Amino acid sequence: MKKIVFLLSFLILSTISLLAQENVSGRVTLEDGTPVFGASVLVKGTKTGVRTDANGRFSLSAPKNATLIISNVGYTTIEIINNGETSITVLKENADVLSDVVVVGYGSQTRKNVTGAISRITNEAITAVPVADVRQALQGRVPGVVVTANGSPGEAPIVRIRGIGSINYSSEPFYVVDGFPGADMSMIDGKDIESIDVLRDASSAAIYGSRAANGVVIVTTKKARKSDKIHVLLDTYYGFQKAWKKLDLLNTEEYVRYATDLLTNAGATLPARFSRLDDPIYAGATQTYRQTNTDWQDEMFRTAPVTQTNIGLTTSNTNSRMYASAGYFKQEGIMLGTQYERFNFRINSDHNFGKIFTFGQTLTLATENKLNENNAGGRTQLKHIIHNVPYIPVIDPTQLGGYRGPSGDDGSDPQNPVRIALQDISRNRLLKILGSAYVEAKILNGLKYRFTAGINYSNFVNNGNAPIYNESFNARGTNQLQQSISNFRSVYLSNQLNYERSFGNHNINVLAVAESQNGKSSFVFGGGNYATNELRYVTSSISDPGVNGGLSEELLYSYLSRVNYDYKGKYLLSGSFRRDGSSVFAPGNKWANFPSASAGWRVSEEAFLNTSKTISDLKLRASWGKMGFNGIGNYAWQPVLLQNTGAILGDTRQTGAFFNALGNSDLKWEITTMTNFGIDLGFLQNRLTFSAEYYIRKTEGLILQTPLPSSLGFSNSTPANVGEMENKGFELQAGYAKRTGKFTWDVNANISTIKNRVISFGENIKSPIFAGGNADFGAFDITRTTVGEAIQAFYGWKVGGIFQSQAEIDAANAIDGNAATKYQDNAKPGDIRFLDLDKNGVINGDDRTNLGSFLPKITYGFNYAAKYNNFDFTVFFQGVQGNSIYNGTKVLTQGMLRLFGAGTEVLNAWSPKNTNTDIPRAVSGDPNNNSRTSDRFVEDGSYLRLKVLSVGYTISPKTLSGFAKGSFSSVRVYASAQNLLTVTNYTGYDPEVGSRFNGALSAGIDYGQFPQPRSFLVGLQVGF
Amino acid sequence: MFKHKLITWFCLVTFAFSCTPDKLNKTNPNQLTPENFYKNAGELTKAVNSIYAIIQSNNLVSREYFFLHDLRSDDCATGGGQLESPRNQLLIGAQAPDNSVGSEVWNGCFRTVFRANTVIDLAPGAVDFNTPTVQRIVGEAKFLRAWAYMELVTMWGGVPMPLNVPTSTASTLARSSTADVYAQIKKDLTEAQAVLPASYSGAELGRATRGAAQMLLARAYLNQGDYTNGKAELQKMIGAGIYRLQNIKYADNFREENEWNGESVFEIGFASIGEVNWVGDGDDPSWGAQEGTTRTQEYSATGWRNLIPSNSLIAEYESTFKGDPKTDPRRAATFWVTGDKYNNGANTLTDGQVQGNTSSYDGTTTKVSWAKYTLQYKSDPGGFKIGGINHRVMRYADAVLMMAECENELGNSAAAIARLNEIRNRADVIMPNYPTTTYPCRNKDEIFVAVRHERRVELAGEQVRNRDLLRWLKNGKITVGPIAGFKPLLPIPQSEIDNNDKLDQKDQNPGY
Repeated sequence: MKKIVFLLSFLILSTISLLAQENVSGRVTLEDGTPVFGASVLVKGTKTGVRTDANGRFSLSAPKNATLIISNVGYTTIEIINNGETSITVLKENADVLSDVVVVGYGSQTRKNVTGAISRITNEAITAVPVADVRQALQGRVPGVVVTANGSPGEAPIVRIRGIGSINYSSEPFYVVDGFPGADMSMIDGKDIESIDVLRDASSAAIYGSRAANGVVIVTTKKARKSDKIHVLLDTYYGFQKAWKKLDLLNTEEYVRYATDLLTNAGATLPARFSRLDDPIYAGATQTYRQTNTDWQDEMFRTAPVTQTNIGLTTSNTNSRMYASAGYFKQEGIMLGTQYERFNFRINSDHNFGKIFTFGQTLTLATENKLNENNAGGRTQLKHIIHNVPYIPVIDPTQLGGYRGPSGDDGSDPQNPVRIALQDISRNRLLKILGSAYVEAKILNGLKYRFTAGINYSNFVNNGNAPIYNESFNARGTNQLQQSISNFRSVYLSNQLNYERSFGNHNINVLAVAESQNGKSSFVFGGGNYATNELRYVTSSISDPGVNGGLSEELLYSYLSRVNYDYKGKYLLSGSFRRDGSSVFAPGNKWANFPSASAGWRVSEEAFLNTSKTISDLKLRASWGKMGFNGIGNYAWQPVLLQNTGAILGDTRQTGAFFNALGNSDLKWEITTMTNFGIDLGFLQNRLTFSAEYYIRKTEGLILQTPLPSSLGFSNSTPANVGEMENKGFELQAGYAKRTGKFTWDVNANISTIKNRVISFGENIKSPIFAGGNADFGAFDITRTTVGEAIQAFYGWKVGGIFQSQAEIDAANAIDGNAATKYQDNAKPGDIRFLDLDKNGVINGDDRTNLGSFLPKITYGFNYAAKYNNFDFTVFFQGVQGNSIYNGTKVLTQGMLRLFGAGTEVLNAWSPKNTNTDIPRAVSGDPNNNSRTSDRFVEDGSYLRLKVLSVGYTISPKTLSGFAKGSFSSVRVYASAQNLLTVTNYTGYDPEVGSRFNGALSAGIDYGQFPQPRSFLVGLQVGF
Repeated sequence: MFKHKLITWFCLVTFAFSCTPDKLNKTNPNQLTPENFYKNAGELTKAVNSIYAIIQSNNLVSREYFFLHDLRSDDCATGGGQLESPRNQLLIGAQAPDNSVGSEVWNGCFRTVFRANTVIDLAPGAVDFNTPTVQRIVGEAKFLRAWAYMELVTMWGGVPMPLNVPTSTASTLARSSTADVYAQIKKDLTEAQAVLPASYSGAELGRATRGAAQMLLARAYLNQGDYTNGKAELQKMIGAGIYRLQNIKYADNFREENEWNGESVFEIGFASIGEVNWVGDGDDPSWGAQEGTTRTQEYSATGWRNLIPSNSLIAEYESTFKGDPKTDPRRAATFWVTGDKYNNGANTLTDGQVQGNTSSYDGTTTKVSWAKYTLQYKSDPGGFKIGGINHRVMRYADAVLMMAECENELGNSAAAIARLNEIRNRADVIMPNYPTTTYPCRNKDEIFVAVRHERRVELAGEQVRNRDLLRWLKNGKITVGPIAGFKPLLPIPQSEIDNNDKLDQKDQNPGY
């Protein structure tokens, strides 16, 4: 929010009218003379008012000596007396952020009356980073909100508000766009956004009831203010991105040396190629294997462009206001084969008609086109890059498909990531429409009725084409083609009554809403094979066609009410109640109630403080509420009979029918109860502000996929309401603004802590929940969720050094008094000695322990913005502290499970001649399981990132007015850099590892997820 | 007045949609529910089909099953450094409780049991429960459940033994004793025999037969050293005259053209529909049914060649190079060796075509690869090839050789030798009758040596050797395992111990 000093200058011309009215006109400008567009000028005590035009001018009729109230969002409201003077210059410092309006569910509220924990982010912060998805722009801006990038361009980031709310399901917040609940954020152009309000505590979020448990994010897009002139803003940038880090991988000579040790130590034969390295890389090539030194990282990483352009138009007249825009965004991934592109269009308008009616609408339409990162063989591209063989060329024209990979002669079988990126195509094309319209009627004094209808529609097409190829070991025999088309439609109908009145010192606002929202999605899928690569789409020519489809429906009925009351603006009380009925749950468990209450005391309004020159604001707040979670998918409680399998009997395929999970008709809402305490402090006319929160968030009836032993025979688990989990934390925000003089600046910082703990699993779950195991990363599970600990703690063995001699091993074997019971069954000198935590002389599953949590203890952000003359400067730091990462890329570079490309660290592997090392011996097959889940691969994930560094120059209005007949009202050019600097001890590619495939309970495990780029860009903003 | 109208209108709109709570009841339109299924022979046929389907899956016969047995036997060696770690660890005896090959077979077997339990539990609710068809379906399910428990008890010892569909996720079970698991296997197979037909035709080929139940039951008895009962079961099976060796070429048992032949006792069908089904349970992926097997690609000379025949197996065959009067023709049918003609004789295998490790073969170092169940005999695969060759899980020759073993153990030397010679006298084998110089068969021990030899060469690469070694070790017939430090039982998967509240670390098998 701009906290800018502004200056109003008025030129009031008075004439005498028959009704003792005078025509008053004037001009509202900022201190530097910039006209303020869209400010409201209201004659106090009447409904007469106008908005300033693009030049800041207004005119209206008002009685002599009437008070004019001049207000604009973000600026201090001032009152002036129309005393008939022809020219008034008013200089007034705006210090008060409390006059800001924040958007709450089903309405808005001035900040000074807010009793919950709500943070607002404005357009400036949202557009400071060049990201496809505006959710990414929330990173570091709001205390208590943790955003983690998660994948290639166009992939949604992970957003968590106040910790983790659910064990098996997404803890993603609930998004409301322009009043439409459950909107799709990826289609929203950040440039169209006026503000984002994050509702963190229960009293503000509970109004969204069954969907609010993970917090609510309300997005408000731009609207025009009253004006009689058209205003156009063109906003564009172009930039490029690069990987900011690479790993040290083996070159050809080092690889052969390492491979020789690895295989020889295992008593295995060397690959035939090693004796033929001077052969040409393929028939007819002049280059030999020995001369080949493929840097697979360089082959896959690239300098990739990113660009965005948005043109927005605002216009209005007495009765109508409109904002319209068109936007384009395109980002290529820093790894080959990834790309995201979006076109979006928007039109928002509001119209008054008759004396009591208002009609308004928002409509946005977006098309998206995305090339997905391929995960051939279920493995990440980084896995293929790290594990590839440096003497193997990328290209081989003698192979089917033109690419090359190792063969059996090389004794290794990584896939060629370049081929995967360029040939195995998975492309998403989407069309999304989000629109809503309302009619509002002022029924009685203070009583308004609003009917809103909205629709959210999306059409999704995925095309997959995996052609025939043969790169030696890896090959595909048929050209696989598939296409899926799905549709989603959600209709929202809402009836809202709002009553707002003041009775003396008592101010009251009552809301009552009855609404429904449905969702219906259907899909159809077709796929099959073709004998050659000529066919690129699914047609009737494919063989062995597979068809699939489905329909999924949900429905939510809601009744809700809220009462806000204050006495003299000093004592604030608020209560809300929502009752939701959802189709998602079994009969008998469909309805639930979600109450909330909050109170605030504005101590600074009390007589003993309101004259203080130092303390300009002091407010104490407390809130409590219950919220629900229903994001478990439709029909989750119902057991299903599957028929997608077949047996070959005789020579025919005969359908099989089975079920592989139980249903649960007892499934009901997961209820989160949150208590919040807050304090707001302002000093020196609120130039210096502090705000602090403490919350306790407790989730009961946690819906859990019950962990199942294989011996039960189920393939899938059953969801049940079992556990309890708690998140607790502090959040602090501080800001200071210097608003006067030529050099103005403001600084904002936020910091938050979080502590997550699973309290119980209930009666039926008797064992912890394990997750994260993957054969490429040592097949043991990597996380364990258990009572008393944070969710999905890393869980494994602890390294106690390296066995230096057989004597040490023999001594370890004899610890339990019996040398026949081995300490570690296959240990040899050079192998890791794991710690015997249960002191029984044998290393087994009972020696595993908690190795750390992926949850940061502290997250923080720091923003400094300054202006000097026409220059502006922004620097934004963001970071997390105290979290661990399971560095799977280190398993790839140093795990030495079998022959693959590796990191240069393996050259320092233990050998009788190289004993002073922490890298165990190189031995193919890893008989001692040195690569098992252990603290060897757990690293500190803390980082501090210079997220944004930006410098801009604004051409002064004076200069512009003399140019092109004054067509340009503003011009700003800027250059910025993202992720310029990252301070971290993490040794993988990037400390923002997210969660692969958004898998349950595997966040913070780096299986080689797509790393975040560093980017540089230049931009231009032109106002007409 | 106008305002009053407005309020009335508001109330109408507000409550227009508010009193239809029934609309909140949404049933899944995409799938049937289990409660409404399993009501007649047609539905139960689909249910029993799903058991064959899961046995055919990647977790079992399409991949991990043959790997697990082969890696645990002494018949295989690594083809090269690319052999995945969990496989390599099994091969060298360094398997840990996280071993994915073991876990997947474990999962596959228990899911087989679950689907069989579904049929056995729910069939009594069918309208036509008492008809022979439904009785046969229940018999098939019992056979298949017994088959899965045989896999489990052979490799893991006593295991949790669900016999009903679990009613809740808390229906976990502790380990049953090995004896209890065998008792259940015998009960199931005895009951199955009573209702299963002797044979099938047409589109029913591949369903469990009475003979298959008898042979599996014989295996169970032999595993426990009960040769009398084992012989009885084999006698019934052989006596029924359904199965034969005559007029079946040895190599035909592993080829696509001679599926469901007279020697096949229990066979899992594959077809060239799609590719390999990499989904563990064998459920169709979204792009359609995939009914191939990885076997040809994993093992064949021009495939990945991840496992190759071990030198000890190659050396086991009688050959003139070793001084035997005749080279065993089964060796050529079992292996590809450099210089062999393949693709119906159209191509000659060169060393350069074959990647990976070499073997010792009649005194030379050359590349030897598995030929059984590979498509190379009739095609020039090159690159990636997925096969549709059915997998003969149980073959009559195995039953005859088990009979020989029983006869020998029961002191009927002549009958034992006769059974062994029955195998050697196959038309395209015709090896000299026992006794031979190498296998003099003068007493029980020497006949047992011949039994071991004959089983090893006849059934090489058919997932039998591992069972034989485990059986003979258990029954004290041999003392040396396939590798030094061989642990007869596999580790219970760590995930089973972690997730089963009835199991503890102390329930883990010895050595892990």
